[in-house]
Amino acid sequence: MTLIVRSESPIPARTTVWLEGRLDAETFGDLDAALRDITPLVDNGGTLVMDLSGLEYISSAGLRSLAQLRKQMHDRDGRTLLLNPQPQVKKVFDIVKAVPIAEVFASVAELDQYLDHMQRQITG
Amino acid sequence: MRLCIPNRLEDVFLALDRAELTLDRAAVDNACRADVRLVLEELLVNTVRHGYPDGREGKIDIHLEIRADIVRLELRDDAEAFDPLLHDPPDLPGDIADREIGGLGLHLARSIASDFEYARDAHGNRVVIRFDPSLSDEPSS
Repeated sequence: MTLIVRSESPIPARTTVWLEGRLDAETFGDLDAALRDITPLVDNGGTLVMDLSGLEYISSAGLRSLAQLRKQMHDRDGRTLLLNPQPQVKKVFDIVKAVPIAEVFASVAELDQYLDHMQRQITG
Repeated sequence: MRLCIPNRLEDVFLALDRAELTLDRAAVDNACRADVRLVLEELLVNTVRHGYPDGREGKIDIHLEIRADIVRLELRDDAEAFDPLLHDPPDLPGDIADREIGGLGLHLARSIASDFEYARDAHGNRVVIRFDPSLSDEPSS
C-alpha cells in the first residue's frame, strides 16, 4: 500500500487535501511533491485542511513533511488544520506532541464550526 | 519470521511488509501491528541512513517472534556502533515546525516499545524490543 494524495480548492481561501494509505520514509516524497503544486493555490492567509480519515499510518518521516507544511503555511500567514486522525496517527501525534490540540478536529462539523467562528471574528 | 536484508531502503520496506503479513497471519491486533511496523521502520531506516557512513554494503538480521502475551523483535546489524538508548529524547513541547526534529524517530520507537535492550558484541549491534499487545492502545509516555 502506498500513499494517495487528492485535493480540492472550492475557494482560494480554503483547500482540502485528503491522504490515504501510509505516510512514511517511503512515501513522504510523494506528499512533498504534491504539496509543491497544491500550496501555491491557497491564498496568503488561507486555510489548508489535511483530511486524515484515510491515513492509516504515519512515521517520523511523515511527521517531518507535515511539520514543514505547517511552517510553510505559517510563513504565509496561513494555517494548517488536521481533520479526523485515525488511532495510529493520533497516537503518534500524542507521543511527539506534534501539533497544537486546537488545530486537530474530530469531524467536518467541528471544523466548519471553528472556521465559521474565525470568519465571524474577521468580518464581525 | 527470520530475514536477512542488505542495508538498502527498498529492502527495509520489503521487510516491513513481510513483518506486517506475519503479524496479520498470527492475528495480532491492528494497534500492536502498527506499533511493530513503526519501531521497525524507525530503527531500520536509521541504521541504513546513518550506520554505514563509508557506503559499504552491510546486512541486517530481523527476527520476529510472536507469542500469545508478547511480540519480540530482535535486530542485529554490522553497522557502526549505535546505542539508540544513549540519545537524549528531543525537547518536545512547542510547535514541531519551529524546532529541530532529528531524534523524533528514535523517541517514537522508545516510547512505543514496552521494553528495549541494546548490546554490542563481535558481530555488531543487537537490539531486542518487546511489545505487550494488551498495552498497544495507549502511548507509554
